[in-house]
Amino acid sequence: MEFFIQQLLNGLTVGSVYSLVALGLTLVYGILHIPNFAHGALYMMGGYVTLTMMSKSGLPYWLAIVISMIVIGTLGVLLERLVFYPLRDAPPLHDKIAAIGILLFLEAFAQFVWGADYQTMPTPYGKVVNLFGLTLTAQRLLIITSTIAIMVLLYFFLKKTFIGATIIAMSQNREGANLVGININKVAMMTFMISGSLAALAASLASPINLVFPGMGHLVILKAFVIIILGGMGSVPGAIIGGYILGFSESLGATYISNDYKDIIAFVILVIILTIKPTGLFVRRGQS
Amino acid sequence: MLELRNVSVQYGSFTAVQNVNIHVHEGEIVVLLGSNGAGKSTVFRTISGLNKLSKGEIVFKGNRIDRYSPDRIVQLGIVQCAEGRKLFSRMTVYENLLMGAYIHRKEKEKIKQSLNHVYELFPILKEKRNDLAGALSGGQQQMLAIGRALMSRPKLLLLDEPSIGLAPLIVEQMFQIIKQINKEGTTILLAEQNAHAALHIAHKGYVFENGTIAVQGTSQELFANDNVHKAYIGT
Ligand SMILES: Nc1ncnc2c1ncn2[C@@H]1O[C@H](COP(=O)(O)OP(=O)(O)OP(=O)(O)O)[C@@H](O)[C@H]1O
Ligand SMILES: [Mg+2]
Repeated sequence: MEFFIQQLLNGLTVGSVYSLVALGLTLVYGILHIPNFAHGALYMMGGYVTLTMMSKSGLPYWLAIVISMIVIGTLGVLLERLVFYPLRDAPPLHDKIAAIGILLFLEAFAQFVWGADYQTMPTPYGKVVNLFGLTLTAQRLLIITSTIAIMVLLYFFLKKTFIGATIIAMSQNREGANLVGININKVAMMTFMISGSLAALAASLASPINLVFPGMGHLVILKAFVIIILGGMGSVPGAIIGGYILGFSESLGATYISNDYKDIIAFVILVIILTIKPTGLFVRRGQS
Repeated sequence: MLELRNVSVQYGSFTAVQNVNIHVHEGEIVVLLGSNGAGKSTVFRTISGLNKLSKGEIVFKGNRIDRYSPDRIVQLGIVQCAEGRKLFSRMTVYENLLMGAYIHRKEKEKIKQSLNHVYELFPILKEKRNDLAGALSGGQQQMLAIGRALMSRPKLLLLDEPSIGLAPLIVEQMFQIIKQINKEGTTILLAEQNAHAALHIAHKGYVFENGTIAVQGTSQELFANDNVHKAYIGT
């Protein structure tokens, strides 16, 4: 039983990272109406910026994360302005090609600047803590708590403030949002800012466990796609719950089936769910 | 108050609206008549800044607004209840109305007043305030769309076929409500297929044919015009 709960905690950790990445992806999907293939590259860049801030500038972990979130958020805004905005009237395929182009560019850039090696990110939270008889590293505890804190903040922002609600409004009806006086350019920029920051946060939290390297975003972004397909494209609660479902499934699968197969689980779930409920799990009534 | 001067609008190489002149005075109800595809919605979209004009100018209270972005035009007080309603279908009725008051978001008291006013005009919206907009019937969605537009307290309200999809009895009510909104001080530009009812409440009208204005005049003149009568009013 204790072992089982331990696995659940692991799932919660992994799921937190997935949810953060999927949240950013789903928010931007609502704005662009295409999946942003470059999102995994933003995640990767976030890992490197945090690492560089710590190793080169000697900043403490937390400050490095905050700076990384700002840098990657700004990078997201730049991508929106320089790449996606000029393509707003082009066919959707152009956005997709552009997103893949950004992905390739950023990976080549990272390899050029930081090299292809796997690098470790030090964390001040390496200690093992005891919690109700369970043992886990402080880093995992940090991942879980800060993710939940960010999600609560984001929920209040989107649900309870006018500015946050503009993101939801624009994703549901772009012209409708425009016609109530919302500046959709500002909303698009804000959404890319949030999306990039979330990716940087996720990478910075996960890197002390997972290492930093140019391809670190690949598997994460593939799984984030699975999550937002599961959760319903563009759905915020879907991205969160989907992230945790995948985290738990992987961690239990790794224990009870085989650790070698854990990365396949996401895709098996995808096939099963899409067979049973092709619209995704969390499509609400009234959605067109 | 609003003036369109020689306005032409194109979709690609297709000219949907050509050399149109429209004049709306403060306090009026002005109706645009015309059959499907005549260009009414295109004119509305252009006034709201969703489409750009290819020729001419649009002047509101002395300022040219034809290069303004849609959100800026809303801030000036020109608000459109558009064709297709354009609601936020996965938000509740209440949230939709709240978003309508986006430009007044800092003024909580004002929002409350507008909300009560809209609930008075459309009691069904109050009843359904916690339902998702997408779960309303077509007619209720139409009321919500008008309600949402009113939440921004427009000076000039553009209504694109507000009677579409409404039961005959409700159409009559809808036109009474439009008249009431106008009496309360909002100038109204209305596009309608339902010429009879529209001309009854309007001060003047323009008849569109293939993107140009074929006839214009006061409501009485249009009622009396044989061609208009035959084409748009029937018996
Ligand atoms: N997005 C578009 N792209 C190309 N052509 C368009 C577009 N929207 C409208 N048109 C064309 O412009 C013309 C005018 O259309 P518009 O929607 O303004 O007509 P309308 O008077 O509002 O008609 P209805 O009463 O059916 O709503 C039509 O011939 C239509 O085919
Ligand atoms: Mg129309």
